[in-house]
Amino acid sequence: MKKALIAMLLVLAIAFPMFAQGAVEEDNSPITLEFWTHEDAARAELEDKWIKEFQEIHPNVTVNVTRQSAEKLRELVQTAFASGEGPSFFNLPIENEYQYIEAGRVAPCDYKTLGFKDAADLLDHYQDGMIDAVVYDGDVYGLPLELTNWSIFINKNVFRAAGLDAETDYPKTWEDMVEVSSKIVLRDGDIITRRGFDFRYSYELTYFVPMVEQLGGELNEKEGCVNKDAWVKALTFMQNWGPQGLNLGNSSLTAARKLFNKNNGDIAMANTGLYQESRILTDNPDFYNSGEWMVVPYPVFEDAVKNVAGCYYGHFYMVNADKSEREQKMAWELIKYFLLTEGHAEEYLTNVGLIQPLKTLMNGETYQSMPYSDVFSGDFARSHIVYYGKGAAEIQSAIGSAVKSVMLQGTDPAAAYDALQKNVLEILAD
Amino acid sequence: MKKKLTPYSIEKKQVRWGFLFTVPCLVFFAVFSFYPIISAFLTSLTNRDAIRRTYDFIGFQNYTYLFTQSNGGFSLLNSLKATAIFTVGTFVPMVVVSLILAVLIMQLRKPGHSKMFELAYYTPAVLSSVVAATIWMILFQPTGLFNQISNFVMHTSGKDYQWLTNNSMLRASTIIVYFWKYIGYFTILFITGLASIPPTIYEAAIVDGSSRWHTFWKITLPLLKPTVVLVSIMAMLQCLKTFSTQYMFVQGGTAREPIDVITMNIYYTGVVNRRLGRSSAMSIILFLIMLCFTYLQFSTQKGGDDVEY
Amino acid sequence: MNNNKFVGKVGVGEILTYVVLILVLVFTVMPLLFMVTAAFMDAKQIMAMPYSWIPSKEYFTTESRTFFTNFQKAIVGNHNDHIFFRNLWNSLIVAFTCALTTVLLASLCGYGLAKFNFKGKTVVFMAIMSTMMIPFEAIMIPLYLVASKLKIINTIPGLIIPFLVSAFGVFQMRQYLITFPSEYLDAARVDGLTEFGIYARIVLPNSTPVIATLGILSFRNQWDNLLWPLLCSQAEKMKTIPLYISKFAEEKQTDEGALMACALLASIPMFILFFSLSKYFLGGAAVYESRKG
Repeated sequence: MKKALIAMLLVLAIAFPMFAQGAVEEDNSPITLEFWTHEDAARAELEDKWIKEFQEIHPNVTVNVTRQSAEKLRELVQTAFASGEGPSFFNLPIENEYQYIEAGRVAPCDYKTLGFKDAADLLDHYQDGMIDAVVYDGDVYGLPLELTNWSIFINKNVFRAAGLDAETDYPKTWEDMVEVSSKIVLRDGDIITRRGFDFRYSYELTYFVPMVEQLGGELNEKEGCVNKDAWVKALTFMQNWGPQGLNLGNSSLTAARKLFNKNNGDIAMANTGLYQESRILTDNPDFYNSGEWMVVPYPVFEDAVKNVAGCYYGHFYMVNADKSEREQKMAWELIKYFLLTEGHAEEYLTNVGLIQPLKTLMNGETYQSMPYSDVFSGDFARSHIVYYGKGAAEIQSAIGSAVKSVMLQGTDPAAAYDALQKNVLEILAD
Repeated sequence: MKKKLTPYSIEKKQVRWGFLFTVPCLVFFAVFSFYPIISAFLTSLTNRDAIRRTYDFIGFQNYTYLFTQSNGGFSLLNSLKATAIFTVGTFVPMVVVSLILAVLIMQLRKPGHSKMFELAYYTPAVLSSVVAATIWMILFQPTGLFNQISNFVMHTSGKDYQWLTNNSMLRASTIIVYFWKYIGYFTILFITGLASIPPTIYEAAIVDGSSRWHTFWKITLPLLKPTVVLVSIMAMLQCLKTFSTQYMFVQGGTAREPIDVITMNIYYTGVVNRRLGRSSAMSIILFLIMLCFTYLQFSTQKGGDDVEY
Repeated sequence: MNNNKFVGKVGVGEILTYVVLILVLVFTVMPLLFMVTAAFMDAKQIMAMPYSWIPSKEYFTTESRTFFTNFQKAIVGNHNDHIFFRNLWNSLIVAFTCALTTVLLASLCGYGLAKFNFKGKTVVFMAIMSTMMIPFEAIMIPLYLVASKLKIINTIPGLIIPFLVSAFGVFQMRQYLITFPSEYLDAARVDGLTEFGIYARIVLPNSTPVIATLGILSFRNQWDNLLWPLLCSQAEKMKTIPLYISKFAEEKQTDEGALMACALLASIPMFILFFSLSKYFLGGAAVYESRKG
């Protein structure tokens, strides 16, 4: 009898957790999370700190962080997913991330773990419409680490050196931009030694497509590059900017935002996001504190038919759907710790300059008191998210090629448009 | 116990040991060369995408696509053109110049001097391609040293030679980098070839009273022909596979089409743009091209072996 | 050999020869000198026109810049991760291991093909030779999938294993050993050496020139490899030096001076190797010719 009783107790003991899954919350066996993300020194510091804190709460969790440059990360995540060995969770820009949702490779948010009732409740915490890109079939597939738009950063010193006053002479339209830049630019023969402004080449979806839209054009998934006139006009503008025209800048010169922080008189303006502020502070604190820089809104064309600013793009934390349920849950747990723990959104903002589109953050004091956050907010209000649909990355390279060919080779903008439209339609077709 | 060395047992032993010695390599190549190329061929018959879970067998559609469509603006035909321009533009000058340099160095009477030139010419070859491209990307800037030198040589002032922005100049730039890196290597190959020509032949020529120039055309060059052919094909195969220089340039912000060599297109199409099927088809095409040239190499090498000095 | 050389007085031809050779010398050495000098300058000075070959003094005396600022930046990296030496070490390990295994496996296989008769030998030889026609670029993605199945992605073995031996190496070894006198081998057999003993004690020691050249070639190839590490190395600490430089170059904060310092530092091991073993580097082509006797 005794034996039978013990046996029964044993069976019960083993079976109990099966019946009472809700009650037995903690499975404390070791678990490893692979976390892949793009590099940013200031952000890495924050997240490493938080991972440590997280591990104190969950001692059974090991987190392996792999940091890569933004471009390389996209390639690595793709190849890893192709071989079925992807990370537990990762982040990429939305235009490279959306395909993972479509292909069912990432899991919908674990609302309970994240502390929301459901999808609607989650969306309600964020600025209206700003994270619609990750809503698919009624579910939300990622939490935003940042939503970023680019305005125009100005170095007042360089303006002064060119006999201009940044406060009043800053460019409001693209035509102003040409004029101001022509005044600032210095050349030795044809060789540019000082630039006014230069574009952020190879991110054409973000800076160039809005310029087309200002002129009445559009890029969409059905018809490709809509409104030839607008596209040709915008391409003509770029041609005029480059060495075949007024020779104000081009894509092979050192990137404008790279020079900007140095404050060495090589460039007056750069197109970049709020995060640049914290980078100036790290790279060149003297310049940051001198107050010799300012931020102004994204210009529009004088004859614009639509007032749009540069697109904003987002990075979302997403969880690999191939991983075990337990691993997924723990990944969401950590994402929640990163993003939604009280005060973290503010730290991301002040230390790294990243804006999570949380209502509490964007209406809160920390954001409002960031220098020039009103400029970025203003640009947010008149912009929309970057094109992230079918073939986004390939379309971006196709547009990039068109821009380079009109600027550098002097290709006729109309011909460049025709080639571009053909390529875009082909990308959309397969 | 010692075995008796009969011819029979040696033969048997030979079979066993010979096979045993070759097996490790054979297994290695089976796993890391044959399997992947077969797998690449099979993938080239599908529309496999890096992220999508499923894919279909689509026959030779990828191949027809590559020869008829633009692959988002970076077509295979453009890549073949870029590769051909690069290959011809690099290996012809490289073979000619390195042959001339080899002959010139061989004529120096101070061995110390020839050694110095050999060392100096060869040094760039020990740098990695990434370092080479990095240095030249700075030199080619409009304000960079190479543009200054161009202005000096061409007697111009303040002209931007657009080494990185003009399509043709950009192609020339990649060729210059490659040429710079490998010129010493090929010069050394020719020096070795020249050194193996027996001096007695020259002695005979001198006795005949032929001039230096004459000796070169009538004696040296014909004798060197196998080396020239071999080195040319080696150089050509190497150029066909170029990747790092072009990759670093594009990463640095230059236009992609003019230097979109086939290996780079494979990388972009497969790894960056996720189209594994299409990029595998390109891989197979590159394989076939290499196959032709390697066949050429082998057939000429056979010819080379027959030459007796 | 003298007949091929200048004789008698210094003539116009000789002067002309020197002029040409020195011009080419300037072309090959100039970028190297540029790298070395620019490594001590700041971006502004590097891009100044005309280029001043001597790093200006003011850059070493200011508070923010010292003689080694660029080198510090190169080593510390833009993200303070201090992985330069780790990556350099990885490169050395990978290149060295590949050189070693290539020499061992290729000589073993080359010996088997050169000196033994067995059924299917021609087939084996042709099969191995045919892999020479397979460009690495064509198989990198399937190879990644294989490596992923073997769980060697993002590991040092993952960087090494696909390059353990090259068909070219096998070919070279075979061509060299075919001319090796068989009488020595037979004599050793009579002396009671095992077949492996013959390989280790007779064949290997007698192939030093070809082994050195092959080893160096394989070392250099791996040192230069960019494409495979691009796919295979994920974690920072698993990267190799070409990846480190290419990433450093891509990063927006990097200035040209630090980049050149990084390039210079990364080249030093190769320079040391080259200048100490220049005989084998420059004798590289001898392999081709040696078999002709």
